Amino acid sequence: MKFKNHIYQVILLTILLAGCKSQFLNKAPLDSINTANFYQTKSDAIAAINGAYQPLQWPKLYNMRMWTTDIMAGNSVTGGAGGTDGIETKNEANFVTKPSNPGVLDLWRGPWPGILRANTVLQKVSGMNTIEPTLKNRILGEAHFLRALYYFNLVRFFGAVPMITKPQHPGDNLRPPRTKPSDIYNKVIIPDLKKAIQLLPAKSSYSGSDIGRASKGSATGLLAKVYLTIANMQKFAGKKYDNQSTNSDYQQVVKLCDQVTQLGYKLDANYADNFNPNHENDQESLFSVQYYGKTSNSFWSNENQSSWTSTFMGPRNSNMVAGAYGWDQPTQEFVNAYEKGDKRKDATVLYKGGPSFGGMNYDPSWSNTGFNVRKFLVPKSIAPTYDSSPLNFNVLRYSDVLLMKAEALNELGQTSASETPLNEVRTRAGLSGVSGLNQSNMRLKILHERRMELAFEGQRWFDLISHPDYALNFLHSIGRTNATKNNFLLPIPQKAIDANPNLTQNPGY
Amino acid sequence: MKHKRIRETLLWKCIGISVFLLFIQPFGVLAQKGTATISHKKILASTYELKNQKPDTQKKQGAELNKIVILKKGKQRFISVIKSIADQTGLKLSYSEQIVPVNKEINIEEVKLTARKALKNVLKGTSLSFDVYSKQLVLFLKTQSDNQSQEISVTGKVTDAGTGQTLPGVNIVIKGTTQGTATNSKGIYNISVPSLQDTLIYSYIGYQTKTVPINGRTKINIALTTKILNGQTLVVVGYGTQEKKDLTGSIATIKTRNLSSVPVPSVSDALQGKASGVQVISSGVPGNDATFRIRGTSTINNSNPLIVIDGVPTTTGYNMLNPNSIKSIQVLKGASAAAIYGSRGANGVIIITTKSGKSGHNQFNVDVYRGIQQVTNLPNMLNATQYAKLSNSMLANNGLPENPAFSKPSSLGQGTDWLGHLFHTAPIQSYSISYSGGNKKTNYYVSGNMLDQQGTVISTDYKRYSIQLNSDTKLLKDLTFGDRLTLEHDIKNHGNYSIINAMKALPTQPIYNSDGTYAGPNGRASWVGSITNPVGQANLINNSTLGYNILGSVYGKLQITKHLRFKSDFGIKANFWDGRTWSPKYNWQPIPQPKSYLSKNYNKNITWLTDNTLTYDKMFNDGQHVKVMLGTSAQSNRSDWMRGSVQGFASKKTQQLTNGTDQPTLNGDASEWSLLSFMGRVNYSYNDTYLVTTTLRRDGSSRFGSGNKWGLFPSGSVAWRISNENFFKPVKFINNLKLRAGYGVTGNQEIGNYSFASVLQTVQYNLNGQLVGAVVPSVMPNPNVHWESVEQYDIGLDADMFNNRISLTFDAYIKNTNGMLVPESVPITTGYSDINVPSINAGKMQNKGMELSVSSKNVKGKFSWNTKFNISYNRNRIVSLNDTVPMPEGNIDFNYTVGRLEAGHPVNEFYGYVTNGIFQNQQQVNAYAVQQPGADPYNRTSPGDIKFVDLNNDGVINSNDRTYIGNPNPDFTFSLNNSFSYKNFDLQIFLQGVYGNKIFNANRIWNQGMASAINQTSAVLNRWTGPGTSNTMPRAIYNDPNGNTRVSNRYVEDGSYLRVKNITLGYTLPRRLSQRFSVNMARIYMSGENLWTLTNYSGISPEVPVNGIDLNVYPVARTISLGLNIRF
Repeated sequence: MKFKNHIYQVILLTILLAGCKSQFLNKAPLDSINTANFYQTKSDAIAAINGAYQPLQWPKLYNMRMWTTDIMAGNSVTGGAGGTDGIETKNEANFVTKPSNPGVLDLWRGPWPGILRANTVLQKVSGMNTIEPTLKNRILGEAHFLRALYYFNLVRFFGAVPMITKPQHPGDNLRPPRTKPSDIYNKVIIPDLKKAIQLLPAKSSYSGSDIGRASKGSATGLLAKVYLTIANMQKFAGKKYDNQSTNSDYQQVVKLCDQVTQLGYKLDANYADNFNPNHENDQESLFSVQYYGKTSNSFWSNENQSSWTSTFMGPRNSNMVAGAYGWDQPTQEFVNAYEKGDKRKDATVLYKGGPSFGGMNYDPSWSNTGFNVRKFLVPKSIAPTYDSSPLNFNVLRYSDVLLMKAEALNELGQTSASETPLNEVRTRAGLSGVSGLNQSNMRLKILHERRMELAFEGQRWFDLISHPDYALNFLHSIGRTNATKNNFLLPIPQKAIDANPNLTQNPGY
Repeated sequence: MKHKRIRETLLWKCIGISVFLLFIQPFGVLAQKGTATISHKKILASTYELKNQKPDTQKKQGAELNKIVILKKGKQRFISVIKSIADQTGLKLSYSEQIVPVNKEINIEEVKLTARKALKNVLKGTSLSFDVYSKQLVLFLKTQSDNQSQEISVTGKVTDAGTGQTLPGVNIVIKGTTQGTATNSKGIYNISVPSLQDTLIYSYIGYQTKTVPINGRTKINIALTTKILNGQTLVVVGYGTQEKKDLTGSIATIKTRNLSSVPVPSVSDALQGKASGVQVISSGVPGNDATFRIRGTSTINNSNPLIVIDGVPTTTGYNMLNPNSIKSIQVLKGASAAAIYGSRGANGVIIITTKSGKSGHNQFNVDVYRGIQQVTNLPNMLNATQYAKLSNSMLANNGLPENPAFSKPSSLGQGTDWLGHLFHTAPIQSYSISYSGGNKKTNYYVSGNMLDQQGTVISTDYKRYSIQLNSDTKLLKDLTFGDRLTLEHDIKNHGNYSIINAMKALPTQPIYNSDGTYAGPNGRASWVGSITNPVGQANLINNSTLGYNILGSVYGKLQITKHLRFKSDFGIKANFWDGRTWSPKYNWQPIPQPKSYLSKNYNKNITWLTDNTLTYDKMFNDGQHVKVMLGTSAQSNRSDWMRGSVQGFASKKTQQLTNGTDQPTLNGDASEWSLLSFMGRVNYSYNDTYLVTTTLRRDGSSRFGSGNKWGLFPSGSVAWRISNENFFKPVKFINNLKLRAGYGVTGNQEIGNYSFASVLQTVQYNLNGQLVGAVVPSVMPNPNVHWESVEQYDIGLDADMFNNRISLTFDAYIKNTNGMLVPESVPITTGYSDINVPSINAGKMQNKGMELSVSSKNVKGKFSWNTKFNISYNRNRIVSLNDTVPMPEGNIDFNYTVGRLEAGHPVNEFYGYVTNGIFQNQQQVNAYAVQQPGADPYNRTSPGDIKFVDLNNDGVINSNDRTYIGNPNPDFTFSLNNSFSYKNFDLQIFLQGVYGNKIFNANRIWNQGMASAINQTSAVLNRWTGPGTSNTMPRAIYNDPNGNTRVSNRYVEDGSYLRVKNITLGYTLPRRLSQRFSVNMARIYMSGENLWTLTNYSGISPEVPVNGIDLNVYPVARTISLGLNIRF
């Protein structure tokens, strides 16, 4: 009988154990941080701002879609495996882009997470008093810079977009309408960049693993580009984006470009060094998206830290670099546009009879056009596998600043003054200086110079759309006869309209 | 609100505990005072065992009664005393409650005496006598002819209707009196009756009671039939068992008796087609779990049923079980049956019980089979000559240069048959041994199995080693302990194959270069393609998983009183699996692997659970039967994984992580969930005619936020056995007719572990060549997420007719899923992921259906023929989603989405364009709606392209012209099994099929697309080449400017099929022959699986995943095998 008593005790105990563990049903994620416990220490603040950089790296932005805009801009065509491989980019290039185009969707989806992360930093870190003011200022400056960059890309691709400057929560109005570009420029981008110039330290103050962060020079150069875009859009596209005169916008450009020069930026002696993994974040670089070849995440994921450019641009089936998908194939017209003696040709394109790469001579049968992009190729000695290229992607470099200055001076009527910055870029390319052109010829010369200098870096599309007449003329001349001015804004993706019916579609789609 | 919840939670816990305390305390006291009694059921069990014993004990019958027994002094219940005597002599007790005054109190004085004397003393003064037959102490009424000489005597013999053996100890009572007798050891009886117009009642445990009017006869021979067939089958119902006749819910039982007589590698194979309402879609991949759908797809989320193996719930990994060790499989389909599993029962429950030993019945079994598997119905691909011709016209039509190597197509010959090299004939073999047995106190079942199955795709195979150890021990009279333990190790080589790539690879490319290395496409992609050599990849890359699985449970069962039982279960499920991928370096195009590569991952998933149930089961004399079960269950799970990889190995011979030199990576994660449940069930029946079952379960889950952790899941069902009613008696041909109706609510908690939490993700960025940590908001939180619930109404009937030769079960149901978790549409402008979106309980889905199963014993006797047929009909419909925006489903490639979820439509319905023939000339193109305009003649719609229907009549073909083009959910699934036996031969023919579903043959997008350098099926030989040449197969054109390959009804095919799933012919050796080798039974058989399929589907196999999309699906194989079953 005693034995049975024991059994009942065991039974009771079992039931009590099962029923009364008060924490039994409380399980919190083990691999992520509870929002309520974060944004408290210095390292929390740094981790939060690092996160705001990360979307730049995504294939949706600088790892792929930004440079495929050069295909849309007529510098190159889509290679790849043929057939439906890259069909979305082919459609863009043929100006039969549909709102369902996945490439356009990527360009839409890329910036917003970055904006949320920057907004979160601006909201949370500005209230933190546990970190020293210089660091806090730097972090807030980085957030302002990044938010401006994300919005600048959005507004140039899509025109009016929702203006969201605070983190949203369930219950907020998650479906805001589009805000016109002038408001995006004047209420977000310009104030953000002005703030960033004020808060950010000079590039030279960064060391160690802070090198590569946004600096005063990054924000100054980007603001110059913003003013130049606004001025050009007002002058050539009939837009009204700010309240000051177009000329004062151009004057701002010149002033800001000079400030950049004063910060100590210089051209690299060798053009190709801008695309050399061993010369990253150097004197010519104002801001670049950082890549690191040793990714531990899938190459195809957002968390990937390796650059796609070498892998995607290497001639397909050539074995010249690891991977080699042959995606971006320069056209004959583009290659013909090089002036004789332009050193940038050898650095930028692979062509029959050109210098060898990685010990291999180029075979034009690797490409449908007979050319491939060389600029971003990383030799196997540095990137032995398709997923290990560490090459950064330039967002803004000093030659761009010089050309912006030249462009602004020319538009201000100071055509001869614009020769100096232009010729600085040409001289490095091994070309003779330009002189004595009239304003409109100078404009064409500068656009041409930008095309050759910044080829395949995702700049040409923006240059085209801020000069719509020039752009249409150019596109039609190379057989892209479907292009109309409506195409200079991309369609708002169908998926975005489905998720937010308050978004209206751009004309022509 | 929050306080209220906490209070409520506490309240529930307290109620749960108090209920137990209330039950346990008083019964504990009772149990200590009461004396153990024998239950009806135990006798029943012991009687069955008798049948397996040889009648050689009869000589010494009664010797047990000479044993000395000890009786307790004092007042006791009559039956307790008898029971005590029987126990001490080792005899089983057999009596009829109608004649034995069980509760009569008697006073015992003598304490120590022989059993015989003790019995005589105890029975003194009653009309009872006793005797011993077959180790069985039988109590019966004394023949009273001595003192009532005026009565007439009736004699006769009682035999078993099945075997013809005489039955000793059968009770015979004159109806309406207590007078009676019993048969003697030879089955002979002699009874005196007052009149030859009286009626006699013959009763014997385990047999159907027979009432026979004497009708003037003086000699009546009677054959009694066993009761087993009808109603006494125990069905496992979740936290208990129930007799089949008492069921009120919809439960399918799969007879597993024959699992060892046909070669089935896994449980899922054994289930296919075996139960109505249960759709099993087998995976052709060796060792992979099949997909189950019970009564349709009940949610757009996880629709897999809960699998309970020996009491341990799981959702995966059931293929670890050796099918030979399975005793029974029950499928709880209706909500009233599944509701006892509450939050995990929404998709139905499959309960698998493994075998246990039988005391006194020792057996040693060997089951072996070996076979070969082949893939059938491979598509006809173009040969090199045909492909080169196609390539030339495809490129020319797009204005691109032709491949100079293809200038003389006929010189290329046949080329490479990639599919032929990817598939091979693969052996399969399985060896099982098992032994089982036991004595009075302990029984055991042990089995071991080795399965070695190669896949029909080269480089895939599966080996499984499993051991099953089951035992039950009666430690004390009322206390039983037992365990169920499965140990399993499996080795799965997934290989690195791509069936679609073998279909895409060009026949013009050889497998090997002349130097013996693998060849790759070399040159312009539009000429040579860019498909990685599928044979090289399969052969070089090693991709395997080693599984180590333990599934075990230990229980203790305490019979507290005659009617009250406590059972405590502790179970553990531990899965460990190690994955490994190795690739040597190779240099072939299109994507060389410049460094050898090794990745390993270690995963573990541990679940423990403890269940406690208290069952009260009492049959009252007035025909009422009440069974009450109360229980608690607690479960907890944790899973961990770790993955590392490294590249650059000095030698192929050292394939360990430590041997690599470059780019080491390391990742890992862990997650947890827990579930706490309180449940109760009441079964009530009156006269076996009116049956009621109600259950209630309250579940708390860690997967929901603090306000939503708890869910309540009630159910109720009733049944009415009309055949027991007097008014039904005239209907002779129906032996049993039961009507059932039920309602229940079940839940689904398979929504991921942490969807309620508001968390930040850690990601990485890198600065100046160094990784830096980053923390980011990523998923918009939904703290309010709560249970999905499924509400089900079920009506059914069970009927047995024509002397139980035809049995029929019919069910009809409506299943409404409420609060279905649907992804909230989060605009990306919030910055939160628009892919990883929070789920909100906003959807509704409905399944309606009917099921019929019929089994029939067509011919009995030396030649026997049994038929089983079942058919199920189900209609699925999404009633509502979050908002009106339909959700795309079934991404098959970057550019293609095939399915769509929308209110008013069935789940996964295909959505796309509708084709309308082919443009035969430019006039037709010009006159038709604009498809692809343009000035470029090579890049616009042209003759030979497909016309798509302008559904909205706006003159432009765009995404607004898409519509629903096919439903992948079948209207009917059915199966037909015929089994025959003649003398020593047995034959089974099993057919299985589905009807009315559509398949989207996505392989054809590429293999009939004619748009890039990909091989095509021979169907494209009939393509459009000029006006009038074809109105179905478009022209070949590189880059496909018209979008001929877009998702359209062009690829939608009828998926109905009828498959000869299995034919098995067996021969059992004559006993006299086999016994020469001391073998009780030896059977040899030949079996064919998936022998033949009748279908209009053009793909390899119509058995495709549940979403109906056939893309790169590993086909199920045809298997021919030879097997042997030996019983010692």
